[in-house]
Amino acid sequence: MRALRHIAAPMLALGAYLAVAAATPLWTAALGAAFPGETRILYPDAAPLELVAQHLELVLISSAISIAVGLALGVFVTRPAGAGFYDVVNDLTNLGQTFPPVAVFTLAVPFLGFGLRPTVVALALYGILPVLRNTVAGLKGVPAEVLESATGMGMRSAERLLRVELPLAAPVIVAGIRVSVVVNVATATIGAIAGAGGFGAPIINGLVNLAPAVTLEGALLAAGLALVLDALLGGVEHTLASGRPSAV
Amino acid sequence: MISIRNVSKSYENAESAAVRDLSFDVPTGEVVVLIGPSGCGKSTTMRMVNRLVEPDAGTITIDGQDVREYRPEQLRRRIGYAIQGVGLFPHWTVAQNVAVVPGLLGWERDRIAERTTELLDLVGLEPDAYGGKYPHELSGGEAQRVGVARALAADPPVLLMDEPFGAVDPLTRDRLHVEFLAIQDRLKKTVLFVTHDMDEAVALGDRIVVMRDGMLVQQDTPERVLAYPADEFVASFVGTERALKRLSLAPVTEALAPVGLAEGCQCSVSATASLREALARILELGVPAIGVHDERHRLIGAVSVESIVERFKRPLT
Ligand SMILES: Nc1ncnc2c1ncn2[C@@H]1O[C@H](COP(=O)(O)OP(=O)(O)OP(=O)(O)O)[C@@H](O)[C@H]1O
Ligand SMILES: [Mg+2]
Repeated sequence: MRALRHIAAPMLALGAYLAVAAATPLWTAALGAAFPGETRILYPDAAPLELVAQHLELVLISSAISIAVGLALGVFVTRPAGAGFYDVVNDLTNLGQTFPPVAVFTLAVPFLGFGLRPTVVALALYGILPVLRNTVAGLKGVPAEVLESATGMGMRSAERLLRVELPLAAPVIVAGIRVSVVVNVATATIGAIAGAGGFGAPIINGLVNLAPAVTLEGALLAAGLALVLDALLGGVEHTLASGRPSAV
Repeated sequence: MISIRNVSKSYENAESAAVRDLSFDVPTGEVVVLIGPSGCGKSTTMRMVNRLVEPDAGTITIDGQDVREYRPEQLRRRIGYAIQGVGLFPHWTVAQNVAVVPGLLGWERDRIAERTTELLDLVGLEPDAYGGKYPHELSGGEAQRVGVARALAADPPVLLMDEPFGAVDPLTRDRLHVEFLAIQDRLKKTVLFVTHDMDEAVALGDRIVVMRDGMLVQQDTPERVLAYPADEFVASFVGTERALKRLSLAPVTEALAPVGLAEGCQCSVSATASLREALARILELGVPAIGVHDERHRLIGAVSVESIVERFKRPLT
């Protein structure tokens, strides 16, 4: 099937990633071989697969919020009622992108405290920007004559949005979601500072205890997840772009 | 009938009004062509009919009812609209594009499919070959036909067509005109048609409304606009060849001379041909006159250069 063509390989990669993460002895053996003199090889408090589960929880919840809020804001500022907010949102979006995520997070901790929930809030806030920016760009990119014919045929504004604007903007929006999620996988490692678990836990543990193998464990898991999610969302983006030609 | 009465419209932050105190009618079952230079307010006028633009002053009625009394979506689903630039939905197939308004009106699936096939046939696109194509797979002319089919889909009594044949070569355009006239002959829609091409206006219009700077300059039949342009502007707009354009509007039967004139010439044109065609044949063959035959190929008269000149001396009513 055409729709599955771009997604099949990333799905397999995801399966392989989870299988490797589940094979704890494999990690012990590989990292042990790479760092022969080390006594601390793996993160002691959680198995690699558990870390994946914690990290995915952080990423999925915060990305879901980012996507929902980014989409809603993007739709709002491109409607006649929200047009007045377009410039403000646009400026905020650009400003937000110049902030390094680590700074955003470190600044957020004093306000939001420690634990899973504040970490999710900080990640969600940072992740809104790419989704919002691309939603606006995608919707603004719908050709004026397509909008005019939709309205002129008698579509209500909601019908026009759901059946014409969003489908045509979808590839651009998914590209924004992809950036947001992949950045989120990396940024979420900082969640360990706030005690939210995830791949940041072994990375920091390794740094504090001078155990490079442990740090490498977290880093490899994070890089792998980022690559797999990037490929998966890239596949979705590709499917949308090729199945629905946007050339007019 | 569409009635436009004393309608004016100024866009925000525009120096001058786009449309000023405009009044004219589109009688039921007729084609009125709105013509004028770029930016004179043609599209604006059309958009006020289906309320994509709201006038600042004046009223527009369709069959006596003010368009403001309708809900905009309801109004628009009853008015076929072929927009300038076509605006097909790029993510839908040709068939899905044509099916939009019937779908909005809640027609049954089978009825929509049947109607789509019928319409693609009507505009000369093989339904099996074209129904499944996407807009980017069409040529400019094919896309414009789909635009026209889409406008006709729900069989609306009123059609607004904004330069629907703007992006095609002259040959294709001529063919589309012939098809359009054949379709209009059968369907008898009330059509407001926009163009800035005088030949197109002459070919398609029952009446022509000439606009300039948002105002109406002249409204009349194509013959009379060509014969009696209201002022210098209209005269220059219809062009120096307006006499030749008039020839294409007049059938040979209007300049019929006795058969004897064409004696010795083994050639004739059909009685349905235009004087333009007859004159072209005369020039081609280098003869003083040419015969005219009826549908059974019986000679019913002749046309000569003199008879054409005489015909043009007669005032138009
Ligand atoms: N949405 C708009 N906002 C502001 N000004 C507009 C808008 N649409 C049209 N105008 C202006 O109003 C005037 C009339 O425009 P309109 O589109 O009606 O012209 P037109 O006769 O259809 O021209 P063309 O033959 O180029 O399509 C032009 O000066 C144009 O710049
Ligand atoms: Mg126009």
